[in-house]
Amino acid sequence: MLLVPAVLFGLLVTLQWRTQAERSELSVRYNAPLIDAANALQTEQNDLKSQLAELRARLDEIQRNASSQSGAAKELQTRLDELKATAGLTPQSGDGVVVQLDDARNVSVSSRDVDKSICHATDLTDIVNTAWKGGAQAIAVNDERVVNSSSVYCVGSTIMVNGTLMSPPFNITAIGPQNSLLGAFDDPSQLQDIKQRRDVQGLGFRVTRASAIHVPAYSGALNVRYAEPH
Amino acid sequence: MRTNTGAIWASVIALFLGFAAVTQVHSQDVFSRSLNLETPSSLTTLIANLSETNNELRNEIFDVRRDVADAQASVSSGTGTLTEAERQIAQLRVFSAQSAVSGPGISIRIDGGFDERALSDLVNELRNAGAEAIAVNEMRVGPKSYFTGTVDHAIAVDNRPLRGPWTVRAIGSPDVVYVAMTRTGGIIGQFELIYRTTHFGVTKETALDLPAQVVAAR
Repeated sequence: MLLVPAVLFGLLVTLQWRTQAERSELSVRYNAPLIDAANALQTEQNDLKSQLAELRARLDEIQRNASSQSGAAKELQTRLDELKATAGLTPQSGDGVVVQLDDARNVSVSSRDVDKSICHATDLTDIVNTAWKGGAQAIAVNDERVVNSSSVYCVGSTIMVNGTLMSPPFNITAIGPQNSLLGAFDDPSQLQDIKQRRDVQGLGFRVTRASAIHVPAYSGALNVRYAEPH
Repeated sequence: MRTNTGAIWASVIALFLGFAAVTQVHSQDVFSRSLNLETPSSLTTLIANLSETNNELRNEIFDVRRDVADAQASVSSGTGTLTEAERQIAQLRVFSAQSAVSGPGISIRIDGGFDERALSDLVNELRNAGAEAIAVNEMRVGPKSYFTGTVDHAIAVDNRPLRGPWTVRAIGSPDVVYVAMTRTGGIIGQFELIYRTTHFGVTKETALDLPAQVVAAR
């Protein structure tokens, strides 16, 4: 009997507490229609990506069945499979490292240091660069596969990878030789800025060895329109 | 006594449930929570980016749907799917920097002090502007390319040191990529403030020839 009012009370207390904390965010309330539009586009994008993944899988199946018929077709299929793997169009699993990057959770940093206590697009590009240097074979940032056309884009405090909205915490999964990857991240000459902000401003940055990690396939468009092979 | 303890526990659990319910509502809305902090101008830019990505996806869906239909037709007519596979191979070789390519785009000449992190940022910015193929001097940038500094101020791409002045060439829509680089507050403007004595020359190009990527030496 007490349960319903108590739940309501808990709800109210928490809402009140959160409202206090988020009052500044809500001061930009007139942004609501723009935020709705952005969220609707992101939802649409997720749907388009799964449609594309289904179509790619169907094309693959048709070609695979057809390629069992002749030797030449089989050879082409093998080349196609290799290229898809190189380009990042097939999921990959294996051992490697996981890098976690997050805004500082310590709210007491002075306003001058706020900028240093949050994750930036350049932190992600630096981490990805270090992982390739350490011999990574496949990388994903919050499940977005890093391919040749991938970019990390930052507007205000929002980050996009492969044109997909993201927010911290970031999980960068890298499949590859673990000792070499860890060596690259531990190298004191690498990621000096991030490591210093971790130590001083409490930026979340952690590299851990991980087994049997999964890196999904790239689900975006290939967009080859201007470049002609020769 | 027993009833009181029970009631207290029930209240504590209920309080927790109330808390959990609110936190749950908020955590489902993770994007809009961070979007709440953005200015209308940033939001408009984000919306433009999302629309662009979605348009690209729609075009690709259209193309792959046609490929599926073509492949089905060739299978049922007994001609096989060889041509289709060859077309895909050609596209993937361009996409993953395995074939030499030509096309319009821009070139950026960097004369003076520069470093590997700035070069990595520049490549990121070019990709973001839709560059389809990028080369630094004669080195094609590939999917796993990385940038490092050397003690003598050269910049290594995939462990191969390249000396300045550097020329970064990118194939893509010359107008779009040029504007993305040179707009007010864009990356070239930022570089000009940071590397004050370095000269950055950005030019639109009608025909660029970029080599295929050489396999990274480790």
